[in-house]
Amino acid sequence: MQLDWLLQPLLSQLNSGVLVLDAELRLVFINQFIARRADVQPEDVQGKSLFDVFTDVPQAWLQRKLQGVLALQVPAFSSWEQRQYIFKLPHLRPLSSDSQYMAQNCSMLPLTAPDGVSRYICLLIEDATDAYVYQQQLQQSVARLQLANRTDGLTGVLNRSYWQQQLSYEIQRAERYQHPLSLLMFDLDKFKQLNDRYGHLGGDAVLVALCARVTTLLRDTDLLGRYGGEEFGVILPETDLTGAMQVAQRICTAVAGQPMHYEQQTIRASVSLGVAAFTAGQSTDALIQQADEALYTAKRQGRNQAVAWRAVNNEYLKKVK
Amino acid sequence: MTALHFTEEQRDCLQELVNVAMGQASDKLARYLATMVHLQVPAIKLVDTQQLPQHFAQRYQQQSVSLISMGFFGDQGLRGEAIMLYQLANVDVLARLLEYSDDDSSEAEMLTDISSVLTTTFLNGLAEQLDNSFSYAAPRILSSRDQHFADKLAATAQQWQLALQVDIRYQLTDYSFHCDMILLIPGEAVLRLRQMLDQILASF
Repeated sequence: MQLDWLLQPLLSQLNSGVLVLDAELRLVFINQFIARRADVQPEDVQGKSLFDVFTDVPQAWLQRKLQGVLALQVPAFSSWEQRQYIFKLPHLRPLSSDSQYMAQNCSMLPLTAPDGVSRYICLLIEDATDAYVYQQQLQQSVARLQLANRTDGLTGVLNRSYWQQQLSYEIQRAERYQHPLSLLMFDLDKFKQLNDRYGHLGGDAVLVALCARVTTLLRDTDLLGRYGGEEFGVILPETDLTGAMQVAQRICTAVAGQPMHYEQQTIRASVSLGVAAFTAGQSTDALIQQADEALYTAKRQGRNQAVAWRAVNNEYLKKVK
Repeated sequence: MTALHFTEEQRDCLQELVNVAMGQASDKLARYLATMVHLQVPAIKLVDTQQLPQHFAQRYQQQSVSLISMGFFGDQGLRGEAIMLYQLANVDVLARLLEYSDDDSSEAEMLTDISSVLTTTFLNGLAEQLDNSFSYAAPRILSSRDQHFADKLAATAQQWQLALQVDIRYQLTDYSFHCDMILLIPGEAVLRLRQMLDQILASF
């Protein structure tokens, strides 16, 4: 059976792109898939250099790969996972994809003409846009889940487990490089009364507003987390006790100085803060404990103030107990 | 399992074919990469795939290794998977080797590119020696700078009964470059390979 007639209809209906180049990288053939998407006429581009027709392909890289195919007579490949596309071609998912161009898998295959001497290269282009779109969606979902796994649902600051994990890392870093590190714990004053007066939604609104306000006072490297109901912690890398106390004073003043608003009501709130600086050999729990003790002292001394931990705090606490 | 083992004659024959393919490959690669390529004559060994992960885990103790896989298919049921193992301090070596200096190729792309060149050049030569020819699946990264590469190698290897272990040490002038190649071949393809080797032996 003579099957030569198969070739043309097959190549033109194939749902993959076929380009054939000669050894000088001139176009010998392109199939309908490529011609329609690149909006060129096969007879217009025949004999022209690949790089003159497709001017925006990565020339240096592609040339080197094609040289390899010719010199070694082995196939070469390019995957959309490493290089999203070689040719800027439109795809058929314009609405569901955030990419303008067709993601491509490309095989570069060595061909030898029947004369046994003339070398050619066939570029086979497969549309991988669907796989690309699924992967993008998957990555977005994973990123969203990671974020949700780290943050507190109400306030959007770090949740306790992630925050505490970060504190351990920062302590290790401070220990290793002998850099200063401070911890600041703060608590909304009389939160129970706020809740009783404005309802739990009102209390929640104050927590959200509080976190938003504190965030504006911190550096990018400082880490704010929700430690418990109305108690929060701030990790202050590269900060000694004096610097941490300045931050604490700033937060104290900012919270008390400006009332918050909830459903046309004005809510006055204040915070008490405790500050402790990391000392070599200290554990995560011990550092939190010190900041907590200082916070407790601030509460006892009348709230709406910041207190730095000192060894005497400890003595004082023991006495009053 | 014993049914898959090679006789001494078959093994020697395969070793000889591999040597010839290696010689051809090193010659072609030297011209393509524009540097002297010295390929150490590899000791080939048929091993149980279950032993492979441990073997390589020991060789690359505690180091992170990148694994690249490339599938190959020939006529008469000959098929398998070539695995390349790299342990790279930096990718600059690869970039210079591939002359990608003026390009923004990622490490992943350079690894798949060099793997493709090294495996297909050798395997094409081997196919030729067996009077066969191979087609290839695009290279895939199984593991990238991963200390747990042995687990991933185990996951791949368990699908194959037998591995033809070909350790290649590529030595290139001006470069310090080394990688291992393993050919994983399923049992039925090993039977076919034995038949082919017997045919070659009979023709001498």
